[in-house]
Amino acid sequence: MAALRSSTSALLGAAASRPALRIARAGVPAAVRGMADLASGATHSNTASGENAKLKTFQIYRWNPDQPTEKPRMQAYTLDLNKTGPMVLDALIRIKNEIDPTLTFRRSCREGICGSCAMNINGTNTLACLCRIPAEDNSELKIYPLPHTYVVKDLVPDLTQFYKQYKSIKPYLQRDTPSPDGKEYRQSKADRKKLDGLYECILCACCSTSCPSYWWNSEEYLGPAILLQSYRWLADSRDEKTLQRRDALNNSMSLYRCHTILNCTRTCPKGLNPGLAIQSIKKEMAL
Amino acid sequence: MIAQRVGTTALRRVAGKPNAFITANNLARSLSTSQTRPVATQKISADEARAILDKQRLQRPVSPHLDIYDKQQTWFGGSIWQRFTGSAFSGGLYAFGIAYLAAPALGWHLESSSLIAAFGALPAAVKASVKFLAAWPFVFHAFNGVRHLTLDLGYGMARQTIVKGGWYVWGASFVGGLALALFY
Amino acid sequence: MASIARSSLLRQVASAPKSAVATKPAFQKSIIANAARATAFHTTARRPLLPPLPQKVEGTVNDAAPVPPTDPSHGSYHWTFDRLVAASLVPITLTPFAAGSVHPVLDATLCATLLIHSHTGFQNIIVDYVPKYRVPRARKAFSWGLNAATVVVGLALYQYETNDIGLTETIKRIWKA
Repeated sequence: MAALRSSTSALLGAAASRPALRIARAGVPAAVRGMADLASGATHSNTASGENAKLKTFQIYRWNPDQPTEKPRMQAYTLDLNKTGPMVLDALIRIKNEIDPTLTFRRSCREGICGSCAMNINGTNTLACLCRIPAEDNSELKIYPLPHTYVVKDLVPDLTQFYKQYKSIKPYLQRDTPSPDGKEYRQSKADRKKLDGLYECILCACCSTSCPSYWWNSEEYLGPAILLQSYRWLADSRDEKTLQRRDALNNSMSLYRCHTILNCTRTCPKGLNPGLAIQSIKKEMAL
Repeated sequence: MIAQRVGTTALRRVAGKPNAFITANNLARSLSTSQTRPVATQKISADEARAILDKQRLQRPVSPHLDIYDKQQTWFGGSIWQRFTGSAFSGGLYAFGIAYLAAPALGWHLESSSLIAAFGALPAAVKASVKFLAAWPFVFHAFNGVRHLTLDLGYGMARQTIVKGGWYVWGASFVGGLALALFY
Repeated sequence: MASIARSSLLRQVASAPKSAVATKPAFQKSIIANAARATAFHTTARRPLLPPLPQKVEGTVNDAAPVPPTDPSHGSYHWTFDRLVAASLVPITLTPFAAGSVHPVLDATLCATLLIHSHTGFQNIIVDYVPKYRVPRARKAFSWGLNAATVVVGLALYQYETNDIGLTETIKRIWKA
């Protein structure tokens, strides 16, 4: 209890001393200053924005499960970019904090490592935390949930099927023989290198939900993200179930609904190449 | 500033739930050290929870896809036009084949001589445009087909190459289609 | 966690009466503006042929999606065969352009390859857009319809090749007409 009380007073103290902190930071670049303003609670009210306000309108997809008969709609929010952080996620958080607390979206790490804030921004899937707000033009920024997914609420899609498919490819090392030294499974540098560009995938589902084939056949087609993960285990020199893994993909639906559309490679927010991974699987299986 | 912002949030909550928040009882509760919420909860079994979730799932909308996705990648993607042009030609081939077999019974003339004569009788402008409408999809399908075969071998898969390659095929197919229609 | 929540509550309560009056107009204005700007989501009037079904999840969240049985003739063999046919079409199509006139055997080869290429292409389209798990009977009808059509067209092409001047020659003469 004592600890709790002291932390509370510390927090209050911090709150009181924050204006001073802000003055001390007056010289930092605009982006950082935006964050500072956000933290200290700048309101979106018209009086605060002034003449050189840089207004940007965000059109956001809304649907509320508590009113299931109502159709999804687009709602517009206008923010002053001078008081907002540089990324789309900053804007979303600011909207939720200051304008509309009912706006719902997933977010966690705010640095592109958790994959929670995957959504469709201005027509392409990306992570809101890695996507800069295009500040040059005054056009409206459109934000939708990941395409052709079942919407839980607003920008939150249901990824159950995606995860179930991930589980179906057995995403773990499978081997029967013990390691020679009884300690760990060793790998040459060249073999380890084969996993580069594969192990970085964070399963944000941006690529899978950008794929028209996956839109039409997500019940049976695995989609780019899961196939890239699949190749991550096929390419692993330590894995001994390569043949079984290939057999599991060798049917008309799981792998071969990929028609090299390559939206996946174009959209990946981590700069990976799911299209190339799928092509590598097809090539391995062709011979 | 802080005070102002917090004030708005508080006000909003009040506006949302006028009765629940303003009462002195609630104020006192929020000032006390333990956090409580004025919500009644009840325990439900896993099956009941599953049933509620299943019911919610049935009501969920599907998020928009073709309408909102980057048009450059969906409507102008090389892949779907490969399918369009291919099925146009294959559909034409199938339609012609079936009509050719049925022609004697129906009294149609689909022999090469009558086809050539019929086409030759058209005005020059119509001939040129019909030729372009046949030549462009042919060249597109051929060029994009070769592009797809190289992609299948794993070449040209870098992001920039994909974008550029798509535009090159569009450009080349128009040039090639025009050339075939006008100079052959 | 608790301390953070509590301190914010404290702040809220402490400052609510003061700032409520000050911020009310702006707040109300923004709500009205936002309400007016909230527009219905644009959905087109067209009805898709197979709209997605309401969501249904088989099994629990922790069950893996089912893995289909291995079937290389509709999987890897099909894919490889498809690419080989497509690749062989490149020289077969280019030869008449380069050579000027065509041998009947080459023309027959072109017709046969085109027919196979068309057939596998249509097969891909059917597998994509007429899903088995959803419309099994339509899928069967389409598949067998395609097979029948391919046989008929094969017969027609045979007739055309043997009784008429052949595909390449026809296109050439129409082009020059």
